Amino acid sequence: MYLNDFEYFAPKTCGEILDLVGRLGTKAKILAGGTDLLIMMKEKMLKPDYLIDINDVQELKGISYEPGKGAVIGTATKISEIEHSDLIREKYFALSQAAGELGSAQVRAMATLGGNSCHASPAAETPPPLVALGAKVVVKSIAGEKELPLEEFILGNRKTTLAEGEILTKFLLPEPAPRSASRYSYIGLRDAMEIDAVNMAVNLALEDDGRTVKSLRMVMGSVSPVPLIAVEAQGILIGQVFNQELMEKAAQAASVEANPISDIRASAEYRREMVAVLARRLLQQAFNAASGTKEGNW
Amino acid sequence: MKQLITLEINNRVYEIPVDPKDLLVDVVRKKVALTGTKKGCGQGDCGACTVLIDGEPVLSCITLAIACQGKKITTIEGLVAEDGKLHPIQQSFVDHGAVQCGFCTPGMILSSKSLLDKNSRPSEEEIKRGIAGNICRCTGYKRIVAAISAAGETISSEGVK
Repeated sequence: MYLNDFEYFAPKTCGEILDLVGRLGTKAKILAGGTDLLIMMKEKMLKPDYLIDINDVQELKGISYEPGKGAVIGTATKISEIEHSDLIREKYFALSQAAGELGSAQVRAMATLGGNSCHASPAAETPPPLVALGAKVVVKSIAGEKELPLEEFILGNRKTTLAEGEILTKFLLPEPAPRSASRYSYIGLRDAMEIDAVNMAVNLALEDDGRTVKSLRMVMGSVSPVPLIAVEAQGILIGQVFNQELMEKAAQAASVEANPISDIRASAEYRREMVAVLARRLLQQAFNAASGTKEGNW
Repeated sequence: MKQLITLEINNRVYEIPVDPKDLLVDVVRKKVALTGTKKGCGQGDCGACTVLIDGEPVLSCITLAIACQGKKITTIEGLVAEDGKLHPIQQSFVDHGAVQCGFCTPGMILSSKSLLDKNSRPSEEEIKRGIAGNICRCTGYKRIVAAISAAGETISSEGVK
């Protein structure tokens, strides 16, 4: 359970980080919360020669919001800060819920939003709500910076588009649509410190009539190597007046679209069933919240 | 290669030679000789190694000591008053029989402190959530929850920190 030898850097600015990652390349790893990285190092799955600790870089931390534009969350922002943010709870509820369900109080105090996406675990809590909320990531290198949707950033199990010399610096969340609501839920063996067997986030917006679905994002986690957007299920509801029959159809469609494996946490069959269960719950909750109806019995 | 770093632990400043790979739990236990902090699973699951860094609960078995410079570290030893009087949470654990083998206790108490510092009158559910990252294998959870609840009442009525 010991770590390999490495050289440690604690840069103070984003420029210094870019200089270091540009110079040290793949032999370096970014240390954010360390709750995944140090465990992989202890298990000898990773043996970086250099660690670049980004926790002292103020410009990569914190949550800001501009009405009409949306929120910006720095990559090194702690999960606990997101969990306790009134702004995130009010505007991006699914993300607030996912942050509150991640790990334990200790893990939430250490882990960062950027780390959760860069580690790219298929069972990660925060990528599904971020994708459902339409989040983009900003990727920076010495050459410049680019923006891309999070679903294009995460390529597979522990794979992202990050190339040598690049880092993720922030998440951009668009202003929520009027009459919209987002919800997150999961299925796991216990409430804390478990790894989700299935998780899901729904972001639903209604037309002026308060009944017709204007837009919908349903994103499933832990049933595919990447956060999976339930395209078919969304198509069933978009443009339609929300009702129980269509909701059931959408839940079944999501279950078919899921691409789960059987592993230690759940069988593929169980995961498929749970996708439908979560879809029903979340669609109903999001519809109720978006339409201003009192929450149902879910 | 060893580097000399400065750590502030329980309001005392220590100058310690460390390797970048040295973990906070090992430095606290072996170099500073504060053995109240326990090393359990070593992979951030059990919570026995919990310490407070700037008031937040942190797993010292997956924290680099070198990354803690300039921060305030509190271990279980830092909760006792100068005159040796136990912190209300410690006293409440004793009074409620919330300590069995004792291995989880330091981490459990520090997680409780972080919780009670933010909310001195937590509900039973909030307490359970607050200590969800601390595993007790004697399973004395019932008394632990009662001890934390009672400590919260003492703290809010006496205004102790």
